[in-house]
Amino acid sequence: MSTLITGDRAARLDARPPARPPRLRRWLTGWAFVTPAVALFLLMGVYTIASGFLLSFATWNGFTPQWTWVGLKNYADLLYADLTLAPELRRALWNTLQVMVAVPVLTVVVALPLAMMLNSVTRLRALLRSVYFLPYVTSGIAVYYAWRYVLQPDGAINLLLGSLGLGSLAQPQGWLGNPDTALPTLILILVWSSVPVATLLYLSGLQAIDGNVIEAAQIDGAAPRHVLRHIIWPLLRPITIAIVLLGVRDALHGFQIFLIMTNGGPGGHTDVLGLMTYRLSFMKGLAPTLGVASALGWLLFAGAVLMTLAFGRRVR
Amino acid sequence: MRRFAYLGLIAYALISVYPFVWMVSGAFKSRTEILEGDLLPREPTLDTLITTWGQLHFFDYFLNSLKVTAMTVAGVLVVYSLASYAFAVLDFPGRRFLYWFFVALLFVPGITVLLPVVILEKNLGVLGTHLGLVLPFVNGTAPLTVLLLTNSFRSIPRELREAARSDGAGEARIYWSVYLPLSKPAHITIAVLTAVPTWNEYVLTRVSISDKALYTLPLGLESLISSEVPRYNEVMAASLIIVLPVIALFLLLQRYFVTGLVGAIKG
Repeated sequence: MSTLITGDRAARLDARPPARPPRLRRWLTGWAFVTPAVALFLLMGVYTIASGFLLSFATWNGFTPQWTWVGLKNYADLLYADLTLAPELRRALWNTLQVMVAVPVLTVVVALPLAMMLNSVTRLRALLRSVYFLPYVTSGIAVYYAWRYVLQPDGAINLLLGSLGLGSLAQPQGWLGNPDTALPTLILILVWSSVPVATLLYLSGLQAIDGNVIEAAQIDGAAPRHVLRHIIWPLLRPITIAIVLLGVRDALHGFQIFLIMTNGGPGGHTDVLGLMTYRLSFMKGLAPTLGVASALGWLLFAGAVLMTLAFGRRVR
Repeated sequence: MRRFAYLGLIAYALISVYPFVWMVSGAFKSRTEILEGDLLPREPTLDTLITTWGQLHFFDYFLNSLKVTAMTVAGVLVVYSLASYAFAVLDFPGRRFLYWFFVALLFVPGITVLLPVVILEKNLGVLGTHLGLVLPFVNGTAPLTVLLLTNSFRSIPRELREAARSDGAGEARIYWSVYLPLSKPAHITIAVLTAVPTWNEYVLTRVSISDKALYTLPLGLESLISSEVPRYNEVMAASLIIVLPVIALFLLLQRYFVTGLVGAIKG
């Protein structure tokens, strides 16, 4: 960034700037460069956002030619009025909140020590970094199925626990079949997939810290935990904020892993808001739930904006 | 101290590869052996991989996945690289507004617009085609791509631009021969960040593609597990087939990808 500022200043101080093309030409060039992006948004974005928003004030089953306008009823139904939707929403919200808090916190707790250890060694560093990245690059349906395979009742995790003499911890219904372990298991898998990027970011942050600062503190008699707490942690704060914000957004918007691994089960114990929206949009056959689905989608949008604003204000 | 570090690092490396080890082991097991719990197959067999590949027309699905991913990556790189260049260095009315508008779209959840996208595509007549997947995929990457590429173009010293201009280069020329080569790592990062989720995409593909001839690999994989008793050796073989190309791509581009990602987040 600093080179940019000095560059700008140098250009401004230059007594005679190079001749610039006439204004209209410059404008037309600029617009030409953004035209493809804007055109694609006009085609795909404007209609979908506008119609999705309008649909949240109507009921429709996807097949009848007409929408029926109902005003704010969809939002009211979701938040308190409807006797099946409101409790369903509250349960999904509670699960979503657990994911939203647990995943970023655990990601930081795992990734920071990992990055510090990685920073302290020289041999094997490149190899380990590639290995750590595996969960990120392969994240998706194939890996979720591999997890399902090792988590099933006679799967590798239960066998591993048995052979370690921890057979009492094994889950005879499978880790995803037991209502008490299903959500924590999914949270751990989400952490497993988000640790790679977090570790990489922390590692680059650690490498940017001036070694002299830490050395000076050590000469002044600071213990390692003080160095961590008063020097490293504050300097890495922007990275921590980025990791937490990305995690919160993923928790609100993402539901693929829940759809593929448990589809909300057992008994709704892993239902999340994104999955509930998906169900209302595509899984209700001829029932007129599309308006409610849109309303829930916009509540998710509002939630993401509010969380980011609140968090942004706190850290400032 | 260093010994503890290595211990911790190797322990986490094992956690990182854990499901892949079982994926590979399962893919080389026969239908009977998969029911036993050993990690190493007693009689490793290639039959599972071969039959899975053949039975499920995996080659067709593979080509479909490749086509959709390549079109999406190409679309993203062309459309948003040009726009980001304009946001970073050009001067025209609406520049700041458009930039922040694209970035703000980050807050719109994919699931919120999924249903309207399906309705729109039905009306446009592209629902259920590969183009019908590529258009929303490209559009959906807009916020992050614009954010990262604009950042990367901004970090290039302006003097280079002025120098190229005084040599008589036009805007297209400056973009192509000065800015694009200098932000190669950022573009490769975007290519990987787009290719990986597109290759694995399941939700929009599931709700829009019904013609089996147009299936991508994730849908082929899903059809294996939705049968009553999933044969996990075939499921793992199919998973391995899906995962390997992405790993190869990552190893190939890793050097650029890492510097690009770090540079992008820092800026």
